[in-house]
Amino acid sequence: MSAIVDLILGVVTSIGGFVEVGSISTSAQAGSEFGFELLWAVAAAGIMLAMLVEMGGRLAAVSKRSLAAAVRERFGIDFQIVPLSAEFIVDVLLLAAEVGGAAIAVKLLTGIGFQWWILPIGVLAWLVLWTCGFAVIEYGIGILGLVTLCFVVSAWKLGPDVADLGKSFVPTLSTHHHLRYAFLAVSIVGATVSPYLLNFYSSGTIEEKLKVEDLWVNTTTAYVGTMFGTVVSMGVLVSSAMVLGPRQIQVDSYEQAALMLVPAFGRWAIGLFAVSLGIGCFGAAVEIALNAGYVFAQVLGAPWGANKPRLSASRFTAAFTFVLLLSLAIALIGFDPLRVTMICVALTVVVMPAMVLPFLVLMNDDKYLRDHKNGPFRNGFLAVLTILGALLALVVIPLEIFGG
Amino acid sequence: MATLPACNRQDQQIQQHKEAFESLGATTEAICEAWLAGDVSGTYTHTALAQTFLLVEKERTALAAAPEALLDPRGATLSQQAEKLSRTLAALTADVSAADADAARRHLAEIPTKP
Repeated sequence: MSAIVDLILGVVTSIGGFVEVGSISTSAQAGSEFGFELLWAVAAAGIMLAMLVEMGGRLAAVSKRSLAAAVRERFGIDFQIVPLSAEFIVDVLLLAAEVGGAAIAVKLLTGIGFQWWILPIGVLAWLVLWTCGFAVIEYGIGILGLVTLCFVVSAWKLGPDVADLGKSFVPTLSTHHHLRYAFLAVSIVGATVSPYLLNFYSSGTIEEKLKVEDLWVNTTTAYVGTMFGTVVSMGVLVSSAMVLGPRQIQVDSYEQAALMLVPAFGRWAIGLFAVSLGIGCFGAAVEIALNAGYVFAQVLGAPWGANKPRLSASRFTAAFTFVLLLSLAIALIGFDPLRVTMICVALTVVVMPAMVLPFLVLMNDDKYLRDHKNGPFRNGFLAVLTILGALLALVVIPLEIFGG
Repeated sequence: MATLPACNRQDQQIQQHKEAFESLGATTEAICEAWLAGDVSGTYTHTALAQTFLLVEKERTALAAAPEALLDPRGATLSQQAEKLSRTLAALTADVSAADADAARRHLAEIPTKP
């Protein structure tokens, strides 16, 4: 019974926690500029994420180690410093973008400049991290995040042509703006497969004390939850394609993106968009900061866990506090959150091989996985993903600098 | 021969600016239409128009950063239209603040850069 409840909560959380600053920006831009054409990229990114989080959960359930702890133990700190530094940079920037996204959501509702909301949102995030246990953070935010289903309702109410939708799941080359199309395809993958998610998921599996005999819960949650979450991202893309696309509105700000819900929800539209953006970004911000605490404590071999009294896990607490402060400082400088998001997305693709390669070795190590090692399909998938990540990085950097 | 790639690049840049201004013109129209229909609040409309104004100014600066683009008749026309879009946005923002729907409808018809 407990496993079933865990499964339902896990799936609900995956749906509610899927959409955040990266997925909203990239899907909205893709839809407004290329119609349904990039739906295949959202689907492909969803499959990648589902497989990776399933592996992270399996690793944690079987070995009782999080991804960061296992990498440190298997490869040593001298090796781990490389992916760790890369992930740290991406996470700090992404956290700044998420706080900025949440601040813009409040701005949409109040009309008061988003810079004024950065500090209060940071303080609120820290209070949540200081006072709440894992279940409240994970399930509470996930359940609140179900409001993002409004994008799916919007897409459904707009009545897209099913044949057109179906055709869009086959990767094709765009008829116009090829570079922009490739950049957005890469961005969608980078926005979906965030490095923090892998360690966060494996640490969460340990926090929830998942047993090996309940691995099916991990598998089902990873695949079903991510699938439904991906549908929410697709809802953003379809709504944007059907509302903003025909008017040739390119999404350069969240104020523009908010208009996609107007035909479906009328006077509720802006409120729904703002609440969806706010909860999605705030939830992601809390998770990224929490994951920073996890990673640093795990690498240092110190006590960690959202269910532990914060003062008894001082390094864990200090790490999430430090990362949050650093991100707030970046956010307060007065950046454009949408721009920072796109930089994060590109950086994510750059660091992807550094994350995936050690993961591949671990997932085939008897010591960690015993009878639950990767099969040839999963190994192949990870190998392809790693190479793809490196190639995508080579494409995305010049695109971002010269043509993005 | 050597000027051909440069010409192509300039064509591309002007086309990109044109699309950006058309997008911002369409955005202005969509925001104001939603306000006139009662679908969005004055607070959102004011915020969204102010943001659109900033984006127009950013795009104008980018266009003016390449003097050769302004020497091109298409670039020069675009620059004038962009300036008019800025003024229309300022007028629309004032209309929304004054809750003057009639004036907003009048100014809406003056948006120069629609797709």
